[in-house]
Amino acid sequence: MEAILSAVAEVFQPAVLLIIVAAAVYGIVVGSIPGLTATMAVALVVPFTFFLSDVEAIALIVTTVTCSIFAGDIPAALVRIPGTPASAAYADDAYALTRQRRYQSALGASLVFSVLGGLFGTVTLACFAPQLARFATEFTSYEYFWLYVVGLSSAAVVADQSRLKGAFALGLGLLLSTIGLGTDFSSPRLTFGFDELVTGIDFIPAMIGLFGISEVLRNVLRLDEGAPSATPAAHPEHGSLRSILQLARTRKGHLLRSSVIGSFVGMLPGAGADIAAWIAYAVSKRFSREPAAYGKGSLEGIGDAAGANNAALGSAWIPALVFGIPGDSVTAIAIGVLLMKNITPGPAIFSTSSGQAVLVFSIFVTFVVANLVLLPIGWGAIRAGAQLIRIPRRILLPIIVVFCIVGSYSLNASYFDVAVMLVMGVLGFVLERFQIPLGPVVLGIILGGPLEHRFIQCISASMAPRSFLPSPIAAVLFVIVVAMWFGPLAAWLVKRSRKPPTP
Amino acid sequence: MRSTDSTPLFLCTLILVGVVAACGGCSRSDRYPSRPITIICPWGAGGGTDRVSRQMAAHLEVELGVPVSVVNAIGGKGVTGHNRCAQARPDGYTLGMITLELNMMHWSGLTELTYDDYIPLMSVNEDYAALLVGKEAPWTTLNELQRYVSEHPGELRASGTAIGGAWHLALAGWLTSSGLDVDAVNWIGSTGAGPSLQDLMSGGIDLVCCSLPEARTLYEAGEVRALGVMAPERAKGFDAVPTFAEQGVDWSLGGWRGLAVPRGTPPHVVQRLLAAIEKVVSGESRISAGFEIVDGERVPNYQTFPEFMDSQRFNNRFRRQPEFLAFLAETDEKFGELLTSDAMTSVNTEKFSPLAFPGMISVLLAVSLAGIAVNGRFGQGGEERITGDPVGLTGYLRFALVPAAILTYVLLAESVGFLIVTTAITLGMLLALRTRLWLSVVVAIVLVPSIYQVFAHALRVPLPQGWWGW
Repeated sequence: MEAILSAVAEVFQPAVLLIIVAAAVYGIVVGSIPGLTATMAVALVVPFTFFLSDVEAIALIVTTVTCSIFAGDIPAALVRIPGTPASAAYADDAYALTRQRRYQSALGASLVFSVLGGLFGTVTLACFAPQLARFATEFTSYEYFWLYVVGLSSAAVVADQSRLKGAFALGLGLLLSTIGLGTDFSSPRLTFGFDELVTGIDFIPAMIGLFGISEVLRNVLRLDEGAPSATPAAHPEHGSLRSILQLARTRKGHLLRSSVIGSFVGMLPGAGADIAAWIAYAVSKRFSREPAAYGKGSLEGIGDAAGANNAALGSAWIPALVFGIPGDSVTAIAIGVLLMKNITPGPAIFSTSSGQAVLVFSIFVTFVVANLVLLPIGWGAIRAGAQLIRIPRRILLPIIVVFCIVGSYSLNASYFDVAVMLVMGVLGFVLERFQIPLGPVVLGIILGGPLEHRFIQCISASMAPRSFLPSPIAAVLFVIVVAMWFGPLAAWLVKRSRKPPTP
Repeated sequence: MRSTDSTPLFLCTLILVGVVAACGGCSRSDRYPSRPITIICPWGAGGGTDRVSRQMAAHLEVELGVPVSVVNAIGGKGVTGHNRCAQARPDGYTLGMITLELNMMHWSGLTELTYDDYIPLMSVNEDYAALLVGKEAPWTTLNELQRYVSEHPGELRASGTAIGGAWHLALAGWLTSSGLDVDAVNWIGSTGAGPSLQDLMSGGIDLVCCSLPEARTLYEAGEVRALGVMAPERAKGFDAVPTFAEQGVDWSLGGWRGLAVPRGTPPHVVQRLLAAIEKVVSGESRISAGFEIVDGERVPNYQTFPEFMDSQRFNNRFRRQPEFLAFLAETDEKFGELLTSDAMTSVNTEKFSPLAFPGMISVLLAVSLAGIAVNGRFGQGGEERITGDPVGLTGYLRFALVPAAILTYVLLAESVGFLIVTTAITLGMLLALRTRLWLSVVVAIVLVPSIYQVFAHALRVPLPQGWWGW
């Protein structure tokens, strides 16, 4: 208890609070530029941590992560370019709402639910980290394999038109992910003679192309017609912060559900916020009263997925703090900084006797403060972003193209990535013409590598199909997958068998 | 053409801002270094190589007086990043952190690239491979494990990195030098030491081969035990771990990291860099690393590069130019023998075809396509909802404009430079979409230099600098 109080006192120093506010603004600016990732935002501030005290450094890192992940939703709503793969789960909803002149409601919901989910994730991290980390070690290759399949299936079955189209999009993404050198192979494949493809296709340029460039292409084709899809002029909308808080109050249960999903999936190294957001979105749609609105501008879908996304953020620190095994590259950088700042990860990290309790608790306190600070600053960013909608399309579209180019180039300083972005943009345009959803393609590209790796690991242990279900966890995940794909079919069969046969 | 409601004064201010932004920070002179330097790190952000690279960058920044930033060019088992540095313009503005994999990948046919394509500057670190088992494993010494492996060949599963990676080679070297077959232990490929340790704890594998700093947390917590380290002497900070030589196995392998520049870099640049690096590794260069509160005052805590490495349990191993070069040649030969030996090449041939998984996915694609086709024929969903009139010729022309603009950047930016190419494509697109000329010029002049300032200076992205250093 004493440790918590002194951690609070440490964080509520003027210097630390100033750093938190500055980091929040910085995180939101970097996170909202398409192509710049939270990883990049954090990596860029690492040199500054050399000059800061321990608590200040922690505050800088934690706040930057929290805010830059949220900011990924802003370009998703404005120009349909998700800043993070997790935002891709609800990019279509947010963008659709913007086109319905409800931009502020869309991002407001994302902001409020992000903050609440983030707070939930922090509580999980603070209270259950050692137990959950222990539980996470129960996950062997088999459980990971099925978890990836659940995540991928979620993306496919929420597809608006038909599951088959979702499956097609998913397959396309998975196939793209196999290009290049896999973890389990010593020779590259499907590179068609391009040396650059040995590395494979990076999801960031792919995401920018699939969502951003394809939308630009769609727009330039009919620029003069003034189609209703035009970015509308500013319009006084009713998306006030109060109405969104009202929405959050009526959806307490849903928020809890997404936060639990987020915290649970987030704590598994290599799973993380992306899968969490997709699963939460699929669950939200499945149990929603108006599933038809999903994909066309559903505030509920945005809220639930955004909540899970940010809940996963806090719990991603669990394996990193307890076992020194970071779940993703952002946490890996953060842990690198912590090591430099006298925090040694380990199972005893949370016990007050370890001598680092104050520092560890200051991580939790900063998470809470960062989430609270995110609320006003994020709202300001949303209001500022609204100005972009006023720009006429004939000026906005070239600007978007330039940002797509610079964004995809910045990631690796690679021209090939820019070319990949272009190809993906054309692909995205074609797919949308045939009403094939783009989200599963992106998730397929991201998770294809880990999925194949786990699959090879499992199948090299044993070829027998039964060996794929060695534990109750794996069995449960398997049942979820089957239910997801064949549930509607089974329901239909049951309905038909009950109906008396017509003569 | 409705967009004319802005006041002229506002626009003038914007133009002024644009011009000032364009001029700032775009000078070029003959003195080296006169503009930002990039270090290419071939491995991911947050990993060991990345942390060493970033610390080195912070020190070099102080010594050289220009910004030094790190770019992670990852993938292809290190090929991408190593290639990027070797193929960079040899002007001293692109450095590379090269790692031990450089001496492995050309033997396994991944690339033509060898250490000969670089001017090696200095190796800054070497961490030796160690063999780790779970805390409940029955083996307490290397010899017990070796006996078990010789009695149960092909039973144990080990991991630590991808197939054919450095730690795989370390394990294979241990097996051959203790008289066992290379395939007496199965290597399960993984994405790195972290995931492998996770698998070790969940019981998915029996052994992990990786460096000790990578396993530090779990080792210090007693969750894993180290049976030995493949080093000439015990590792600093891990004094309880015996070496392989102490246990009668003559085998050592270290993962080293070092700085290099592309071949062809002018000698005066190399000398300037060497002098700076020498100051860093000798501990002369100091950067602040936090504060201590003494009598309510903040007293900066300075740290040297070797001190940083010690605090992270990274082994300081500095090899200066002639020694580094000889070391590279020697290890390259040693790895060549092992990697091209029959035993190792047989291990490297995969049990499953690399095309097995893509094949399965293709089946999924074919099935779903067939399903969509059937659905479409029966008129359920799948119907195109594209409405409106046919797109006119100008529509298609504008459509082609976007790919053209992006391709222009891909093809010309490196030689012409970011500012010129991007201004040109922005103007071109704006005019093609029939924005008024003056407005297009204003947008281009404000937008492009602002992007340049934000990305190249604030965010330290190495944007292409062409003919005039723009």
